Amino acid sequence: MKILITLFTAVSIFFSFGSYAKTIMLSTKGPGAGNPFWASVEAGAKDAAAEFGVDLIILSPPQESDVMAQVAQIEDQIAKGVDAIAIAPTDPNAVAPILEEAMAAGVPVVYIDTNGINEGVTFIGTNNINGAKLAADYICSQIPKGSDVAILQGMITQTTGQHRAEGSNKGLTECGMNIVAELPANWDTAKGMSVMEDIITGNPNIKAVFASNDNMGLGAIEALKNADMLDDVVVVGFDANPDAAASVAKGEMSATVAQFSYNMGYMGVENALKLANGETIPDNIDTGTVLVTKENAADFM
Amino acid sequence: MEKKNNQSFFVKSIPFFEKYGILLLILIMVTVLQILQPDVFLSWRNVTNIFKQISWQSMLALGVFMVIVTAGIDLSVGSIVMISLMGLAIASKAGLPWYVVMLVSPAVGLLCGLFNGLGITLLKMPHPFIMTLGTLYIFRGVGNLISGGVPITGFGDEIRSIGNGKIRLEFLLGEGAKEYIPSSLILMIVIFFIFWVFLNHTRIGKWIFAIGGNPGAARAAGINVDRILVIVYTLCGFLTGIGGLILAGRTNSAYPNAGLQSELDAIAAVIIGGASFFGGRGTVLGVFAGVLIMGILRNGLNLMNVSVFWQQVLIGSIIIIAVYIDVLRRQFATRK
Repeated sequence: MKILITLFTAVSIFFSFGSYAKTIMLSTKGPGAGNPFWASVEAGAKDAAAEFGVDLIILSPPQESDVMAQVAQIEDQIAKGVDAIAIAPTDPNAVAPILEEAMAAGVPVVYIDTNGINEGVTFIGTNNINGAKLAADYICSQIPKGSDVAILQGMITQTTGQHRAEGSNKGLTECGMNIVAELPANWDTAKGMSVMEDIITGNPNIKAVFASNDNMGLGAIEALKNADMLDDVVVVGFDANPDAAASVAKGEMSATVAQFSYNMGYMGVENALKLANGETIPDNIDTGTVLVTKENAADFM
Repeated sequence: MEKKNNQSFFVKSIPFFEKYGILLLILIMVTVLQILQPDVFLSWRNVTNIFKQISWQSMLALGVFMVIVTAGIDLSVGSIVMISLMGLAIASKAGLPWYVVMLVSPAVGLLCGLFNGLGITLLKMPHPFIMTLGTLYIFRGVGNLISGGVPITGFGDEIRSIGNGKIRLEFLLGEGAKEYIPSSLILMIVIFFIFWVFLNHTRIGKWIFAIGGNPGAARAAGINVDRILVIVYTLCGFLTGIGGLILAGRTNSAYPNAGLQSELDAIAAVIIGGASFFGGRGTVLGVFAGVLIMGILRNGLNLMNVSVFWQQVLIGSIIIIAVYIDVLRRQFATRK
């Protein structure tokens, strides 16, 4: 049953714990139709919505850079009267004021995938420091101590990029690797390739590279192929997207780290509903990571 | 006999539709959306949301409108939003008083616009497209250089008052009333009125239309075309800087992707609003209507949970349909 309610009735229902189906908004960074990661977040959210009897509204900006589109969508849905919001913030700082407004209007918020800056909001997603450490430990197990290694960073303005840079740096330093380059390639395949070309030129003895996401990792593989160096260099990505899983299966990429994006959607809706029902939830909910190598790559293709 | 009357009514109605047809379109959109979303669309909260959402973009559109009237184009406004926002953020972090910080954004915008105007006229660029395409990259690059490419967050309430300020209506509607008017709406109305007066009732305003309609004739009439162009691009930058100030209030953050691709939204609003891409024709009211149409469309589709892919398709279609109607109207007018 779809009930259109004004803000005031939304607030009163929130306090009366009424028997109406709750409406939960899932705000992702990009349409699932264009991106397998968000598609699986949406699938998780839909399954949770079906299981808990929730009306689910899924909206996203046309691309991740269109921050104001996400702000407008949240604003519009608050006006319409949603009961809770699960959001992957495109820009945590820029969306903070509208989320503040949501909570002031009695609409609880949880972050999924990317942590934000609003105080007291639960983060449901990958612990990227641990995930990147997992990748670093794998690299350490594959090459001799003291080898030259490089890190391709994501957008270093985002917490995800910062955490993966931090976790990988920590892991590689701890096991005594010689980090010769830590450069941002902004999550982009083409940039990953050109940055890797530059790294190869300056460091011909490089033995491993950690790419903070698969796209950059696939770019790095192209650069290494062109330089005839792929056989000597371990490339580890992050995200385990289908292209990367295929590359791992082929033996080009050595490994990648899988996030459980399905869990983010599922647990996002589950926990947003708990908040809408007045329950409390922990501050941090880890959706987990797992290393993807040749053995289990087929599961991710 | 009756037929003749009909025809004369039709002919008489042409100037009416030319002037107000776009308002009719808005009325139709509002009616349809109110029927589809009866409890929400015309609620106070939603209407103020629409105006809050369009306020910063309307500044860009107004600036780009003046540029398009001169038969030019400004592709750099999206980047000017970002660089003026970064300028404001840095001034704010440097601890300058709030009234100075608020001036920084329009000032940076104005300087960027001046740079565009001087570049186009002094370097004798073959088309403003090229100069402003260049500065589209330069301004965003400089913005990232001065900020280190990271978002800068947290401005004072005074600085945010333009983009986020609320004029509560408790004094009208009694204690406890939640209704308010966004201060960005007031600012938008004031600025649009000022520029309406400027473009329609001052000499420079008339010259701006003149050089767009027929630059050769304007030169022959003794108008200093280059100087007018510099003024127009500078004002466009200035207005964009005000847009940056509004955005600062809305997001409380200067972020690297601010204003990305918003130059295209601004151009779209101007074209939907009936301005000619070849210069010399268009109205300030039309620009406002163009911005409003895009705002209402996005808001309505968001309320109905329509995918953003459809929003892109619809906005693109409206641009083409709006211009095609204009083409038909002109064909009809020349045949008469």
